Amino acid sequence: MRFALHAALVAAFALVPLAAPWLGFVFTLVLAKGLAALGVAILLRAGLISIGHAAFYALGAYAVAAMSENAVSDLVLQLIAATLVSALAGALIGLFLVRYRGIFFAMLNLAVSMVFYTLLSKMYHLTGGTDGLRVDTPTVFGAVIDRDTLEPILLYGGLALVIVVGLAVHRYLKSPMGEALPAVETNEIRLEYLGIAVPRVLLSAYTLSAALAGLGGGVHALLVGHVVPDLAYWTTSGQLVLVAVLGGIGGVVGPFVGSFFLEIVRSFAVIYVADTWNLIVGAGLLVVIFFLPVGLYGLLDRAVRRSAK
Amino acid sequence: MRRFAATLAAALVAGSVPALAQDKPADIGMGVFTFTSGPAAAYGMPGRNAAELMIEQINADGGIGGVPIKPTYVDEAQGGEGVVSEFRRLAEDPEMDVMVAALSSGNCMALAPVADQLQMPMVTWNCDTHQLFLNETHDYVFRPNSSTIPEFVAYAAYLSATDPEATRIAIINPDYAFGHDAAQIFTGAMKAFNPDVEVVAELFPKLGTASFNTEISRIAAARPDVIFSNLWGGDLENFIRQASARGLFRNSKVILALGESVLQRTDLPDGVIVGVLGDGWWMSPDAQANEETKAFVAAYKEKFGEYPVFPAMKMANTILAVKAAYEKAIEASDGWPTRDDLRDALEGLQVDNLTGSVTIREDHDGLVDQVVGVTEPTDDYDFPIIGEMARYPAEKITPPVGEDPMAWIGTLSPDFVSSLPAPGSYK
Repeated sequence: MRFALHAALVAAFALVPLAAPWLGFVFTLVLAKGLAALGVAILLRAGLISIGHAAFYALGAYAVAAMSENAVSDLVLQLIAATLVSALAGALIGLFLVRYRGIFFAMLNLAVSMVFYTLLSKMYHLTGGTDGLRVDTPTVFGAVIDRDTLEPILLYGGLALVIVVGLAVHRYLKSPMGEALPAVETNEIRLEYLGIAVPRVLLSAYTLSAALAGLGGGVHALLVGHVVPDLAYWTTSGQLVLVAVLGGIGGVVGPFVGSFFLEIVRSFAVIYVADTWNLIVGAGLLVVIFFLPVGLYGLLDRAVRRSAK
Repeated sequence: MRRFAATLAAALVAGSVPALAQDKPADIGMGVFTFTSGPAAAYGMPGRNAAELMIEQINADGGIGGVPIKPTYVDEAQGGEGVVSEFRRLAEDPEMDVMVAALSSGNCMALAPVADQLQMPMVTWNCDTHQLFLNETHDYVFRPNSSTIPEFVAYAAYLSATDPEATRIAIINPDYAFGHDAAQIFTGAMKAFNPDVEVVAELFPKLGTASFNTEISRIAAARPDVIFSNLWGGDLENFIRQASARGLFRNSKVILALGESVLQRTDLPDGVIVGVLGDGWWMSPDAQANEETKAFVAAYKEKFGEYPVFPAMKMANTILAVKAAYEKAIEASDGWPTRDDLRDALEGLQVDNLTGSVTIREDHDGLVDQVVGVTEPTDDYDFPIIGEMARYPAEKITPPVGEDPMAWIGTLSPDFVSSLPAPGSYK
């Protein structure tokens, strides 16, 4: 039954942009941010809140921009590089950060990301400062394409990528390494007594989550065609945490549902109540947080299970 | 859909009209991008107000070629990807004809390739960065406004003409691309005019700084001859209040590049060099000689309670440029102009506006004069106005097409200043 729900979600996601092409852009953005939110959600399972994951998102985006500037123009290479660079940065930063828990972990992530944000804004000659960097239309396996071709590639290719990555992350979460994450939150000491190296569990989770955020950032850069330091700003990180919680952190699909909800509410709020769009977005979030403790996906899931009975 | 229905109806009525004929649409769809929330609204709202008023006036006069403008306002404060997504949504609507976008340089640079891709004419109303057309061609993007190079070269020229002995300069600019660019251009031009010039302090406080006391102390300690700043909005107001209280304006010559926008709000002392980033001052001789401008200013004051600051004039001028382009396109094409007809009309457009004129040259950059002057008291208003003005001709202070702007500044010489109109010559 859950498979049917997923299939329905994917089908709806794939079909709607055909009716309204501008939604294709928004939907691709949903995928990009959903990937990053999935990274945040993995850490949330271990009770670790990262209010700094936008740094990895931005790092992925800037990696793509830097490659584009230096004439490495293939989409596949760019996305691989975005993922690897962020994974490497995640592994390095993770070495230090996984020793902390609770508010210290959250704040240290925030601190690291704000240092990165400042570097992006100030290293003017490398990053273009606040004006940002342009990302040219990439080639795909060497084939030269125009932007009109790139967009469906990003949307449907991105969807396929998300499914593959989602399945992989699902496997990871069901593996001993993945199952250890909630155990870290409930009783870390018992885990140590069982002979499981908690730092290793957390470091691998942190690296994976950074890689996911980097991949999302890479897709974002290719889609928007322009990267700015705001991508690394703490409000973007906050948004990612919010999206993860909104969607529900229980499974892999939740962050994407949350990301979808936030982007759609934002888009339509901007259209219909241009002057108070931020109020509408805020109110929407409040409603979800107050009334849907299991997140949006939890709600969907429950509805499906109930109807199956 | 509406346009399609109108075409169909017209075809049925006339019987012989082919369905493809471009009939007059019910209205001209115009997307207007500016900051209407957040700190940048201090600059963005005057722009939006002016757009509202200008469009109201044009529509009251029967619109453009008999068709009224229908604006859609977009808040730039929603962030880069939100702005791009709104631009795309609007561009998909066949009833949308032209975009007036945007205020933030970062947003402009993100939107420009999208405009090309969607073949949507985009006319920028602010977008000061000289990077916009640097090494890039954008077929559908036009800037009928000036850019950072002529703007900040003009201040250096004015200072060199009034105060040739000034060599020690201190710079306090906002900490983002606009501030850093301005510092580089101003310093470059000053050094070209006088090799003895040295920068004794260069400070970049972040946007939204509440207290400038550290910066003020450091500037005061450096004892500069000149303080240059392109702070704006609330930051500029804060800086002025704190700097005046500590006597900074008494000991050094001060240049506030965006000073005109706060004349009505702060007590600026006399003799501060201020300007309007272009020629958009409502009280310049050209503006006062134009009945249309006077009426616009009066209506603005009536509607919004204060006189239009230069972002407002910039926006009004930009909408007039769109109007002129439409009129040119209507004349050139049989039937109602398409987006591409409008694009062609913007090419090489020359138009008189509320405060002077603008020419769009072949790289789509605008040639706009620069008005610079100093604050002086007046009996007519309870705030200072700009006196001792110079109006620098655009062709002289804008780098030629295709030339690297910073290299061009390096080629300037002390003679360049004496070849320009003298301060006080614009009366």
